[in-house]
Amino acid sequence: MYNTKKMKFWKSVNLVLLLVGALFMIAPLFWMVSISLKSLEEIYQGGFNFIPENIQFSNYAAVFEIIPFFTYFVNTSMITVLVVLGNVFVNAFIAYGFAKIQFKGRETLFIIVLSTMMLPGFITLIPQYVIYANLGLVNTYYPLVLPAFLGSAFNIFLLRQFFKGVPNSMIEAAKMEGANHFYIFFKIALPMVKPALFTVAIFSFNGVWNDFLGPLLYLNDESLYTLQLGLQVFKEQSSTQWHYLMAGSLMVLFPVIVLFFIFQKYFITGSNILGQTEEK
Amino acid sequence: MKKIFFLVFLSTVILGACGGFTTGDSDTSSDSGGSEGAEAQDEKIVLDFWTFWGSEQRRPVIDQIITDFNESQDEIEVRHTYTPWGDIWTKNLAAIAAGDPPDVIINDIMTVKLRAEEGQIEPITEYVDEEVTGRFYDQMMDASTHEDEVYALPFNTDTQILFYNKDLFEEAGLDPEQPPETWEELDEYAGQLDVQEGDTYERIGFYPLIGAGTDVWILNALGENYLQEDGEVLVDTEPVHEAFNWILDSQEKYGQSQITSVNSQFENAQQDPFMAGDVAMMVQNANYYVQLRDFTEDLNFGVAPIPEREPGNGNTSWGGGFVAEVPMGASNPEASYEFIEYLTNYDAQLYWAEQNFDLVAHEEAGVSATESGEFTDAGREVYTQMIENMDNTLLTPQPVIAPDYAGTANPIFESIVSGNTDVESGLENAQSELEQLVEDNR
Repeated sequence: MYNTKKMKFWKSVNLVLLLVGALFMIAPLFWMVSISLKSLEEIYQGGFNFIPENIQFSNYAAVFEIIPFFTYFVNTSMITVLVVLGNVFVNAFIAYGFAKIQFKGRETLFIIVLSTMMLPGFITLIPQYVIYANLGLVNTYYPLVLPAFLGSAFNIFLLRQFFKGVPNSMIEAAKMEGANHFYIFFKIALPMVKPALFTVAIFSFNGVWNDFLGPLLYLNDESLYTLQLGLQVFKEQSSTQWHYLMAGSLMVLFPVIVLFFIFQKYFITGSNILGQTEEK
Repeated sequence: MKKIFFLVFLSTVILGACGGFTTGDSDTSSDSGGSEGAEAQDEKIVLDFWTFWGSEQRRPVIDQIITDFNESQDEIEVRHTYTPWGDIWTKNLAAIAAGDPPDVIINDIMTVKLRAEEGQIEPITEYVDEEVTGRFYDQMMDASTHEDEVYALPFNTDTQILFYNKDLFEEAGLDPEQPPETWEELDEYAGQLDVQEGDTYERIGFYPLIGAGTDVWILNALGENYLQEDGEVLVDTEPVHEAFNWILDSQEKYGQSQITSVNSQFENAQQDPFMAGDVAMMVQNANYYVQLRDFTEDLNFGVAPIPEREPGNGNTSWGGGFVAEVPMGASNPEASYEFIEYLTNYDAQLYWAEQNFDLVAHEEAGVSATESGEFTDAGREVYTQMIENMDNTLLTPQPVIAPDYAGTANPIFESIVSGNTDVESGLENAQSELEQLVEDNR
């Protein structure tokens, strides 16, 4: 039935297409690497040479001299870890309640939670800032971290769908054995929705690691700045120090790439999960 | 698994305790009120000063000026916060709305009147005296004043001038000390400087929209802005028609695609056709000299005023700049003013001019900089040209009557340049749309 020759042909066509696609995807990254190793003179001279005439690894060292990269790295990591933890556990906790605990007004409450998705972030930006300013929390990490512990509608929705998939019979059985909801949540439900938890973790990691507006608005003290704010030093009104900017950006990108390889499996299922839920 | 999470959590909490999660320390006190700041700092008033100067070039210069100020007296201590270019003003707006602004900020001179109208700046009229207002170029002081109240002091400015490649002039048989003075001469010289290979140009002698925009040429043609402060619109006028026809003639010569390719090289700012000798003349912000100085070794270039539309019309150029101002709600405007006054005094301005090769708002300091030992001969020549060009330089502060007039006009101008609209109907349309805009806002 199967024509192996034909199969082979299509397989190689597939491979070529994938290679071309991959090249397109990776070219900007290579270009970044290339620029990060050039001198500014060479960049301004133009030309599309991928390999710099004089490879300048010193650009990377210069980034550390111009901005306190390590401090910013620690700051960003701290915010990121807390936000990811908050996003994953708080939202899972709330979602579990919506999925598995019967209480009065549950559906109405859920719709109210979902309706917060209708509000674009920019609308709440200034009021939120004013609230934090009145609480005396501007110029601290609280405004950046606290919201992660207060639930996000999209993540709640996503996780609720998954908790719904946990069979009621299992929960009933655990209850019969004397387990309370906390025990069931941690020991039974959470392990069963692991892919969804990773999805939330990965996407909130990406969001907070690359967040620019939040730190911009709330942090006044340069010692509290994050990497995304720090990188802006290389962009000025009329000129940009491309070599430093690219070197810095690559270093900021590095942890994301490392994480991608570690959690590759979950990244891809994560994207699929998001695709599915958005279609529904 | 649980242990790992616990460890991660614990370590972040410990890290968190180090900074970022502590509220109300002395660093934040200047935001929440001058008096608290004063207590924390041995009775000193602490001022929070926001700028977008964070580069290795500019930061040390502004930091030095701040240090000098802090050492010059013992009542005020200024602290500098770098905030990213452009976004600094978003942040400022949020801070003003929350009643928690910085004490001094560097802001755009074009929009001072708008911010004054919106109540975003503290007026400083009561502190300013004639010696201070007399320091600056008149057009800059005008832009910092709204309805007889002074809202800011000018800090720096810029101006557009003609850059030309002297070696290419010589090569083409032109006198490198005789740059073109009129549009007609520009065209003539360009013809001699062009290098044509078949249908394409290897070198562009001159195309008006390389470096400069249509707005510069409209200003140059009219000798004034096409939207006056009182709302009068001057778009559908003979000089503006002439400007567009002239631009389109030049475009026809070189061809749309060639121009697009050259301009895209400038836009991505990753290569520079003027440095590479592919463009022989262009109108640019005079600060462009710094790039020529730093990134070319022996480019032999000259500078000149923007050529005039016809003899006697004037070499009108366009400028912008920045001011130092006190955001509305700042805790101690008088102390803020004291610092602003220092920032714009002769010494600080001369220091800024010399270290950054930047055109300062202080007229006398600028003149002194033309003889600065910090500059090379070429640097002094360009700086002198910049200073002389200030006589021709107009600022176009956004008028309160139609702040976003450019947003209405520019798409129409673009459509004329890209050939989608003809000059006649395009300018007629722009004229009526702008008149309508002014009418609506009255």
